[in-house]
Amino acid sequence: MIRFENVSKTYKNGTPALKDVSLDIEKGEFVFLVGASGSGKTTFLRLLLREELPDRGRILEAGRDISELSKWRVPYLRRNIGCVFQDFRLLPNKSVFENVAFALEVIGRPRSTIESQVPQILELVGLSEKAKNLPGELSGGEQQRVAVARAFVNRPLILLADEPTGNLDPTNSESIMALLERINRTGTTVVMATHDKALVDRMRRRVIELDHGEMVRDQVRGVYGIDEPAEIR
Amino acid sequence: MRVYLRYAVRETLANLWRNRMMTIAAVLTVAVSLSLVGAALLLKQSAAQASAQWQQGTRVTVWMQPTASASEVANVKSQLASLPIVKDCVFYSQAQDYKEAQHILPQSEWSVLTVADVPSSFRCVPTVPSNAFVVVSTFKNQPGVYNVTAPEQQIRQMNSAIRILQIVFLALAGVLLLSATVLILNTIRMAIFARRREVSVMKLVGATNWFIRIPYITEGFIQGLLGSLVAVAAVTALHTWYPLHNEFQLNATALLGTNLVVLVVGVVIGSVGSALAIRRFLDV
Repeated sequence: MIRFENVSKTYKNGTPALKDVSLDIEKGEFVFLVGASGSGKTTFLRLLLREELPDRGRILEAGRDISELSKWRVPYLRRNIGCVFQDFRLLPNKSVFENVAFALEVIGRPRSTIESQVPQILELVGLSEKAKNLPGELSGGEQQRVAVARAFVNRPLILLADEPTGNLDPTNSESIMALLERINRTGTTVVMATHDKALVDRMRRRVIELDHGEMVRDQVRGVYGIDEPAEIR
Repeated sequence: MRVYLRYAVRETLANLWRNRMMTIAAVLTVAVSLSLVGAALLLKQSAAQASAQWQQGTRVTVWMQPTASASEVANVKSQLASLPIVKDCVFYSQAQDYKEAQHILPQSEWSVLTVADVPSSFRCVPTVPSNAFVVVSTFKNQPGVYNVTAPEQQIRQMNSAIRILQIVFLALAGVLLLSATVLILNTIRMAIFARRREVSVMKLVGATNWFIRIPYITEGFIQGLLGSLVAVAAVTALHTWYPLHNEFQLNATALLGTNLVVLVVGVVIGSVGSALAIRRFLDV
């Protein structure tokens, strides 16, 4: 599903963000991306979204080299990738329903699709009751669930999550994780960048660790810290 | 497509309404500048038409002294008749000229005149307009001749006055059009700024670039269009109600052409303004 071949990226100010990273992520995998701030996690996600282009190496998604994608095709690539962020990025003046519907509306989906898909996805994230509320009236956990609903409503092949639990308390983090797992079980590849040690340790999923742009670890059923024994891939 | 149309219309109207003050400023600036453009164009066409008409029928009028003797009149008449550069000559007697003066002059002026005060005249058409000057110089100092007038000179003076006026109008209009473009650019920029969250979400979920851009393009387009419609109304009003002498009066085709230019320029200004704003401020 996702393949990095010797990918390097250096920003214009000279800071190297990724150094010679190669990896494969299969369809339906759940991958944690860990590492300190500035280790290259966000660059990794931006490259997947083609918000940045690599300086060297190739990135393949669903078998296609995304660097070779012409500019006008990039939006179509993004339709296959859902995104969730630490700060939710909901539209404050639109209701929960409208926030989710917006994602379908702006890619030209007809009203009938919106009317059937949005209630379904709100049901999945458990927010049917709050469809008419504004994001400001929801808790952080609920807002993040709306964001997940928006990311997933178009049934993308890949779901990227950049510190989705960063602003949430443990209980809400749990519910978001449960939601991401459910989405993963439908066959969606999930890549989640996180700082949440307890969460990674408990989930026992594949862990990729970046340090100053280098991939220093890739474990099949990993934990957050390297001090603990783990099966090295 | 229908979904998109509805979306684009809704977004455009919302943007226009949100920035209504800026929109009004932009529309009015477009309107004023295009009214000037339209007026300059009308003026140019009127002047061209009037001078064409005058050239066709350029006349030289030899005015006799009211006291000129019959032999002096006969002498001038025979000279005019033998002059090859003069086509037609019509003699207006003192009585005829007096009657004409009644039509042309205000009552306060002609009422103090008597037939004896009014000069008789020869109204002649030269073969070529520029020959009018030869006639003027030939007859000016002949016995019994009071004055020889040709409209050519006045036409030239008027034409140069109109040309200057036109340049002033167009220069003013140019400056105003530039500021209209900047104003439109700025309203679009504000609209983009107000919607930056929406735009970032749209990019994220894979809305195409044109999908994101079009509401802003149409916003500028509409501002230009509204401004030029106001200008069209102003130009049409000017054409309809401004009292012009017959020779200056333009027909409907000329007005239509002018209005068309005004409309096109307005729409182009609006579109250019929003295109610039999108290039600079909408990162898609």
